Amino acid sequence: MSIGDTLILIISFAVLTLLVGHFAWGPVTKMMATRADKIDADIDYAENARKEAAELAAKRQAELKNSQADAVKIVNTAKENGEKQRQELVQAAHNEVATLKANAQQDIAQERTDALNSAKNDVAEISLAIATKILGKELKAEDQQALIDDYIKGLGDANGSH
Amino acid sequence: MKESFPYFELFGVKFNPANDIAIIVSAILTFCLLYWLARKPQLRPHGKQNVLEYLIEFTNGIVKGAMPGSEGSQFGLFALVLFVFIFINNQIGLIFQVDVNGDTWFRSATADPVITLGLAMIVLVMSHFFGVAANGFKGYLKGFASPVAFLLPINLIEEFTNFVTLSLRLYGNIYAGEVLLLLIRQLAFSGGPLALVSGFLLEIIWQGFSVFIGSIQAYIFVTLGMVYTSHKVISE
Repeated sequence: MSIGDTLILIISFAVLTLLVGHFAWGPVTKMMATRADKIDADIDYAENARKEAAELAAKRQAELKNSQADAVKIVNTAKENGEKQRQELVQAAHNEVATLKANAQQDIAQERTDALNSAKNDVAEISLAIATKILGKELKAEDQQALIDDYIKGLGDANGSH
Repeated sequence: MKESFPYFELFGVKFNPANDIAIIVSAILTFCLLYWLARKPQLRPHGKQNVLEYLIEFTNGIVKGAMPGSEGSQFGLFALVLFVFIFINNQIGLIFQVDVNGDTWFRSATADPVITLGLAMIVLVMSHFFGVAANGFKGYLKGFASPVAFLLPINLIEEFTNFVTLSLRLYGNIYAGEVLLLLIRQLAFSGGPLALVSGFLLEIIWQGFSVFIGSIQAYIFVTLGMVYTSHKVISE
């Protein structure tokens, strides 16, 4: 039995354990612990982020619903307003047209009366002129007696009727 | 590997240089391996750091298997060093065996019962120490008389058999493996090309099998050591 070997074994094993503990075990287990902590923290963070996102989504959904209702209301109001405005415009246009038509008819009647009056005067003058000319050229009353009579009679009818 | 060693004495204590060299070389190899694997650890493990972390998880698993509670965490480093040290010790004699003038200068230190007894002693002394630390001296002594007082002699015998079986199992496996390696080598050089070729092939096969045995024995040694420690540390 070589007892010295046991001493060497114990000493080298103790030194080996110390060195490995300091140079290999320590840093690596520390890193493993850090990683475990980080994973833990990351999972917590992800959980929180997921919850927040869900809350935001719910809020957004509710807001979207509200805004849809708002939009419908706005459109309805606009439609009503538009309809009312259209009615008013049409009414105004009708009134305007009626006024214009009445005015135009009045004007036309006035014009017609004026034109007739002036034409009556013109016809009388022209007839007189024609008669003077005709009478001046050929004074054979016996030839034209019947025509003149007719004419005068026609003129008298035309004047008398108005 | 002949059973003759270049013994020498220092301060009246006998040394076997074959054991000493093998122990020191495997201790240095163990340290270099673990130190190299642990260089620049990163939060995202790459390459060799994965290997070391797998190794640590493996030995931590052995410890957790015996001591599931929090008391196991203090044995993680011990289990890792013990496992890698015994593993390298078992394998080193498969790669190098040096005989000079009929004396063996280098082979697996675990092929010597003195060394395996020493390893078992380290484990068991640690288990007793941590048993006292965990349960107090009274609780530690009570452990010998549990579950009933008349089992005290059997418990004492068990302590002894644990010590012997733990060490001799490792010794027997490694020693037998190396003796067989030597025998196959002698067969290979017994003359004739047929013997050389068949001996060469057999040597390869047996070396591969011995690597397997050495790994299993390192695992068993650490596992049983942790089981014995758990009996001391965990109070029923």
